[in-house]
Formats: sequence, C-alpha cells, structure tokens
Amino acid sequence: MSVPQDLFYSKTHEWVSLVDGIATVGITDFAQNQLSDLTFVELPEVGAEFAAADEAAVVESVKAAADVYAPVAGEVVEVNSELEDSPELINKDAFGAGWLFKIKVANESDVDNMLDADSYEELCPSE
Amino acid sequence: MNTWSVNFSDPVPYQQGLDIQHRLLKARQENRIPDTVLALQHQPVVTLGNRGRDNYLLKTEAEYAAMGIELFHAERGGDVTFHGPGQWVLYPILYLGGNEADSHGYLHNLEEIAIRTLGEYGVEGFRREGKSGAWTTSGKVAAIGFRLKKWVSFHGMSFNVCNDLTGFDTIVPCGLAGEPVASLKTILKEDCPEMEQVRDSLLNHFSMVCGRKLERFDAEGKLPDELAELIRNP
Repeated sequence: MSVPQDLFYSKTHEWVSLVDGIATVGITDFAQNQLSDLTFVELPEVGAEFAAADEAAVVESVKAAADVYAPVAGEVVEVNSELEDSPELINKDAFGAGWLFKIKVANESDVDNMLDADSYEELCPSE
Repeated sequence: MNTWSVNFSDPVPYQQGLDIQHRLLKARQENRIPDTVLALQHQPVVTLGNRGRDNYLLKTEAEYAAMGIELFHAERGGDVTFHGPGQWVLYPILYLGGNEADSHGYLHNLEEIAIRTLGEYGVEGFRREGKSGAWTTSGKVAAIGFRLKKWVSFHGMSFNVCNDLTGFDTIVPCGLAGEPVASLKTILKEDCPEMEQVRDSLLNHFSMVCGRKLERFDAEGKLPDELAELIRNP
C-alpha cells in the first residue's frame, strides 16, 4: 500500500496536502481499494464552508457508497470537476489526479491534529 | 472483542430494519458496541440504491401496493433489488477503517461469503467481471449494496434461498436487463436446505472470511442490555 510521506492523514482515510493555506483533499489508496472501482463522485459546491469532520463528499463504486469528511475547517475554493466524467482517476491515482476538493483553511494548525504517514500506516491493515 | 450476530426469526418490515441499522451504526461509530451483524428476512419490498433509477421499476407505485410490495429509496450503493421472505439478508455493521480491515476489500469479502455458502451445498458460485454479487450458471443468487459512514458499514448482502422470485420480475434487478435471478431452491429443488441451516452457513463463512469470532443471539431471546435497547427501541 502506498502512503506518501509528505501528506497529512485522517482516521477516516482522507489525505491533505497543505500549500500556502490551501488544503488539497483526497481519499487514500487504502480507501479506494476498499471501495473498488468508483463510478460516481458527489463533490461539494465551491464556496461551501465546512467544520472539521463535516460530511463533504460521497464516493460510490458499483455497490458501495462512502462519505468523505472535511479533514480541516474552511471554505471550498476548487473541486476536481474531472472526476464527474472520470471517477476512476481516484482508483488510478488516489494521491494525485484523484484529488477531490481544495479548502482555504480557516486555521492551519488544524493539520496538527492529523496523522503523519507512519501513524496512518499503522492504522491500516498490513498485507 | 467478539462480533455480535443477531438472528431474527420473523420477517422484518424494511423500515424497522433500517431504523435498527441506523441505531447500531451510530452506536458502533461511538464505540458503544462491537461489530454486529444482523441476519434477517424482510417482508416483500423493492428498494432502490443511491443512484437507483426509477426506469428499472416495471410497475407503478399503486401496482406494487396492490401486490403487497413496499417501495423504498435506500441510501446504500447498488441499484434496485427485491427482498422477501425466504431470502436471507445480512446487514454487517462493521468498523472497516482500522487495521482489522481486509486489504482485499469489503465487497470482495461479501462475494466470497456467498460463493463459499453456495459451495457448501454443492453449487458452483462465481464472480462476474464488472457485475458484483454471486452468480451461478442458473443466474444471480446474491446481491450486494452497502454504505460506509465514518468507515462503519451498513446495508449489505441478500442471498436467495427459497423466496418467491416473481418479485424480481417487477424490476430490472441491479439494472441488468435479461440477467436471470436464481435461488438455492430453483437450483437444488427438493434438496434445498432449511432456511436456518443456510443462515448458519452464511454466518459461519462471514466469521471465517471477515476474520471475526461470533457471539450469536436471537433477537427475541436474551440480549446484552445495550443491544436490547438498540434492537427493540420502538
């Protein structure tokens, strides 16, 4: 299982990359694997405001639906519209092209409550 | 900690099953109960998944009502399906977000439970690429649709034993036109095992495949206090 070192992780299997106050959010490789082939993604509206742990998106495979939570508080400034036509990008590249949305974070120290790659990896099953 | 399983002997109305699941889901998210799996039969009902499309319904709402079939929009993944007495439904309320989760994926595990159960009765079950569930050469026997909230699962799998399959004629099951539905009864005829026996097989395979030791209860019998409240709360 791939777990990039330079990201922050939530216990609900989201990842965050924080650059200049903007948090890019996606679901982890573990999460996409548990759900198998994704067929639909319900993204938040740009401008939506979330508290940390609010339900922000829904990802669906043929037989599964899973809620995605905002790992940090803030306002949605961009969503990955490509996923509307190509949800499989999440399966192919969960940590890259499969990102879900970007949040202008209200408080950068929110990520201090998140897990680092090593702690996150301990949470996930070993192969 | 053991996983609880709760058996319901009488068919459960769909709404009641949904209410019980929602209470268990919340209790599991808050770590007030261990993983729990419900084994039950429903009274006749057609349910649509999250993305379920009405054009897979072949009858009007009034016609379903006249046939004694309820109609529900469920919040699970998957498409339209039919439940009724003679079909086992497993609703596993499992925390799948931790290191006890299986890296093969939950969907794969549910299919595996159905395939091993079929195998136990001498029926060859298999997966089909791009079409989830458990299939036989006679048709689809098990259907799957679930949802995760905070990585706790609810909804799950149905497995046809000796149910009246005509309910499936009123829908396009899982949105797959022209795909037959089968049951253990249509395959094994008079050699079809008893309902209770098949339920125990499903739970045994669930225990093996999902790696969870079961502590088994009857919904009508003695239950741990916290479980009794969640199951019987009116």
